Amino acid sequence: MNIGFIGFGTMGLPMAGHLIKAGHVLHVWSRRAASVDSLVERGAQCCASPEAVAAACDIVCTNVTASADVEALAAAMAPGFAPGAIHLDFSTIAPSAARRIAAMHASVGVEFVDAPVSGGGLGARNATLAIMWGGKAVLAPRLDAVFAVLGKTVVHVGETGAGQVAKACNQMIMVAAIEACAEAARLAAGAGVDFAKVRTAMLGGSAGSRVLDVFGGRMAARDFAAGVEARLHHKDYALLMDEATRLGAALPVSTAVWQQLNALMGQGMGCADTSSLLRVLESGATQAAR
Amino acid sequence: MNVGFIGLGLMGRPMALHLEKAGHALHLWARRPESLAPFMDKAAAINARTHATPAEVAANADVVIVMVADAPDVEKVCLGVDGLASGAMPGLIVVDMSTINPNAARTIGLRLAEKGIAFVDAPVSGGETGAINAALTIMVGGAPEAFEKVKPLLEKMGKSVTLIGDSGAGQVAKACNQILTGVGVLAVAEAFNFAAKSGVDPAKVREALLGGFAYSKILENHGQRMLDRNFKPGFKAWMHQKDLRIVMEEAHRMGLMLPSAAATAQVFNAIVGSGMGENDSISALMLLEKMSNPSG
Repeated sequence: MNIGFIGFGTMGLPMAGHLIKAGHVLHVWSRRAASVDSLVERGAQCCASPEAVAAACDIVCTNVTASADVEALAAAMAPGFAPGAIHLDFSTIAPSAARRIAAMHASVGVEFVDAPVSGGGLGARNATLAIMWGGKAVLAPRLDAVFAVLGKTVVHVGETGAGQVAKACNQMIMVAAIEACAEAARLAAGAGVDFAKVRTAMLGGSAGSRVLDVFGGRMAARDFAAGVEARLHHKDYALLMDEATRLGAALPVSTAVWQQLNALMGQGMGCADTSSLLRVLESGATQAAR
Repeated sequence: MNVGFIGLGLMGRPMALHLEKAGHALHLWARRPESLAPFMDKAAAINARTHATPAEVAANADVVIVMVADAPDVEKVCLGVDGLASGAMPGLIVVDMSTINPNAARTIGLRLAEKGIAFVDAPVSGGETGAINAALTIMVGGAPEAFEKVKPLLEKMGKSVTLIGDSGAGQVAKACNQILTGVGVLAVAEAFNFAAKSGVDPAKVREALLGGFAYSKILENHGQRMLDRNFKPGFKAWMHQKDLRIVMEEAHRMGLMLPSAAATAQVFNAIVGSGMGENDSISALMLLEKMSNPSG
């Protein structure tokens, strides 16, 4: 199948690679041409514009940072799409933005699917992503050509925007758990107990979790290199807290976590791993208590 | 002076009338024409002219005051199709008295400056009562020269008029005001709910506390309205929710930790979500009562 791909960050690049490996003809475009060199070497077609990508493909995947980026790409691709083509967006953006883009595409017969992913760079490289998608259920067989190659868990959550709602829920649970790990690590250290031991003990019990394993492990090793850059989680919190305000839903724990992320950003740790939430807690403690 | 006024709601209408009473000619435009009706009443003989667009208002005015709901509305009135910018005479000063995001105010100010229009942000505190009694607290951001020119107008609407700093500084002061009032109202509601659930009369608690370090205007005024169970606005809960959203957006942008304001904003989300958004923000008390053990 002719598949387009735009957005080659930590996630996008390995995802695009898997699609080539699976035998698809990949059409790519990037503002910085150098970022697609490795894909072109492996047979990807380099296009001159997003519009050209759209014109050549049945499905175009995008994987960029913000709502505005996806909206700009959608507008740029619009003149190129053939009716019935699918714009498949893997980015994490506001549910309302996803619905806006879908409406724009629908007016010219183009399908839009929001399919944010969870699993990080590791999940992208190992093709073990959790994919949560929103859009018309009838598109499932066509989308499967892409999803089957990239993810381990693929769930159709509901209509357009539902994928983004699921992703917001995912981020709330995950980052709150990272903060809980950081607080446990802080408490253990303050009491003079080795958090690495505490973590090992807990992994076998009721508090065991992926987050305790992965992020707790980074905290124990004091390895704060990303992983997932904290600034991306911070960005996601703006989206989900905005949605909470719009809906009139109280999220008391999430908002507290959000403030810790704000402090993390303010301390200049946005490009480090989100396990740096531990360092935010330490920044409020005396040297002796660390 | 020819004064344009856009945004003739609960607050804007009495504010505009104070200016007219002081001898200024009003130039009005409204999104909903019915807002203009009270100014056109022949018997009242108000010195006011209505216009078809904001641009027309700008073409006839030395100063235009804007008092609308949120940043997109201000942007549309100022810079949209037939907006103020497209009709302004050289030297026009736009005074935005709406409560909007400080960063949005700065951006709108810069874009108007490109067209030779001065922009002053001048949000207010004091609610509808303050507007009716010309007793508002007005917090101003902008160039000192522009401030001096509009100060006499602001003094007709407010009791306290303060130049805080550059463009956006008035909105920053208003955001600080909303942090203190939001957190303050919730603190009083929590204390009263705590007293009542402990079997103690909140009225007595209030009376005792008014003499101590916990004294505040909020404990005195909002506290009394809670005791009277008078939840009529005042200041509507959904507006407080909006203002706290602005505060939290700015905290996010700057990487600031605001744990109390953040928690308070969630309570306001719940107030609005439970259908009490049109009530006064002291409805925080009702929410706490509803979410606590009702028989406890």
